[in-house]
Amino acid sequence: MADDGDGAVDRAAAGPAVDDVTAADDVTAAEDVTAADDTPGSDTAGDAAPPDDAVLVVDGIDSGYGDMQVLYDLSVHLRAEEVVCMVGPNGAGKSTVLKTVFGLLEPWAGGVRLDGDDITDTAPADVVRRGMGYVPQTDNVFPPLTVEENLRMGGVARMHPDDVIEGLYDRFPILDEYRDAEAGDLSGGERQLVALARALVMEPDVLLIDEPSAGLAPSIVDEVFDDVAAINDLGTAILMIEQNARAGLGISDRGYVLDQGTVAFEGPADRLLEDPEVGELYLGG
Amino acid sequence: MVVDSHLVLGGDPVGAGVGLGALGPLPVAQMIALGPLPDAQMIALGLLPDAQLIANGLVFSSIIVLGSVGLSLVYDIADFPNFAHGDLMTVGAYATLAVGGFYVALPFPVAVVVGTAAATAVAVGTHWLVFDRMDVGPLELLIASIGVAFVYRAVLMQAFTSGSQSYDVGGRSPIPALRTVFDVALTYRQLVILAATVLLVVGLHVFLQYTTMGRKMRATSANGSLAKVSGIRTGRVVLVMWVVGGVLAAVGGVFLGLETLVRPRMGFDLLLVLFAAVILGGIGSVYGAMLGGVVIGMVHELTPWIPLVPTRYDKALAFLIMILILLVRPSGIMGGGTSR
Repeated sequence: MADDGDGAVDRAAAGPAVDDVTAADDVTAAEDVTAADDTPGSDTAGDAAPPDDAVLVVDGIDSGYGDMQVLYDLSVHLRAEEVVCMVGPNGAGKSTVLKTVFGLLEPWAGGVRLDGDDITDTAPADVVRRGMGYVPQTDNVFPPLTVEENLRMGGVARMHPDDVIEGLYDRFPILDEYRDAEAGDLSGGERQLVALARALVMEPDVLLIDEPSAGLAPSIVDEVFDDVAAINDLGTAILMIEQNARAGLGISDRGYVLDQGTVAFEGPADRLLEDPEVGELYLGG
Repeated sequence: MVVDSHLVLGGDPVGAGVGLGALGPLPVAQMIALGPLPDAQMIALGLLPDAQLIANGLVFSSIIVLGSVGLSLVYDIADFPNFAHGDLMTVGAYATLAVGGFYVALPFPVAVVVGTAAATAVAVGTHWLVFDRMDVGPLELLIASIGVAFVYRAVLMQAFTSGSQSYDVGGRSPIPALRTVFDVALTYRQLVILAATVLLVVGLHVFLQYTTMGRKMRATSANGSLAKVSGIRTGRVVLVMWVVGGVLAAVGGVFLGLETLVRPRMGFDLLLVLFAAVILGGIGSVYGAMLGGVVIGMVHELTPWIPLVPTRYDKALAFLIMILILLVRPSGIMGGGTSR
């Protein structure tokens, strides 16, 4: 787990859609709780510069689909070897953040930097080559292809993916066992591991994971989170989304609480988990 | 000698419609009228289809398979039903005709290669000029492809007239050995069609399974957005897909021209049968399209074996079989269960 310097839950300065009348109730509620909660640094959170060691910086992006804006001036960052979890209600824009960061959606404003390089508006196939991987929430394997072929597809941008693939077989023996099985025939948990491993063949510095536990039986969820932690141990920084917020934050260094397209709270994962306000509003009490 | 009056695949001068087997008189009625034939007792009783019908079916299936594989690839990878695919076969047939006697007279095998290359260039060019430039959904691309089909046909009719033409190449006579040993009339042309189709299908299989581009193509077909996310440059995959589909369609068009006649509507008239093969095999599976092509082609040509069904209902019967199979397997024979 990477060390975190802030040591406090920050209430982000930019409130969610403050000019939106319908959002007034939520804003008021959030401010009530914030007022009751003593959070040092809350006044500076919004304009705080990302730390120098950040590998991924998402800087004030607006984004959405067609005419529908989903993200409003959203800023998050990820340090090297860190696990960061984004939680928040449905429709908060969590998946949209990942899609925009990865170049699947063009941001309307703001920018994305990877290892200091501007990758805003870079096509996904090139983002992969710059060292970032992405595991979608659903349909994240090639069902008719074998496990081995799935992994090879993850390494198409490498000259020699074989060594990395063999390394992944060593690390996750279940993949080796099923290397010649079609991915579509595997169980949900195994398929999730194939999806994660496919993204790892490029040995990315940053991995974006959209809901690793989505659609999995509760008994499997822990296994998948163990896999995510194991991937982090390999040195990959992870920015993930998790509906299962407590479990997601449980394996994370830091967390962001998204609401209505922007960051409502941020801080070390354990502080977010303990914070009564965050707990009541976003973690189901 | 088995009655083979329905076998008119090779030398029919009229070449009406797509139905290769639909060209002859009613064989069942004829068999009954001729009384018991010693070596055709079982066949006359309707217990076994005779070898001739199976041979006809395999030849027709070959042409369907060559067309339906490309149609399936476009459907899976470019994500729209290409209504110009039948006419792309026609382009292949006419391009071969152009250099095989109409404008210049290259040796026929050379003409086939040149014609196939030209038709493939047309397929790739259409992708560049039309489909790739349209940032629209499958329905709009479908409509656009109908327009493309009209353009292909109009240009062909302008350049080659709207009449029927035939290739100036031999091989129309049945192979004597097959005639005496198996009692099957199969022409040299038909043997070439069967052999070439097997080669192309095996070649496609090797390409899809054992080359990096083939794997990328299967991956893009299975899940295009995940392919992009994995770093596959899907634009190149789509381009290669058009080359593969174009080659197979063009060769299929030439074979159709050899078996019937080269006509401006030859490919378009086959389009529904191609779609039937793709749907029957299961959308999303090239192998399904092959299998669907064989089933549709065989049913089409085995119609004479079905008692009381006039041969002109061959296409209706093929679609009936398609519907029956889809009732049992809604996603097609090879259609995936979980995702596509």
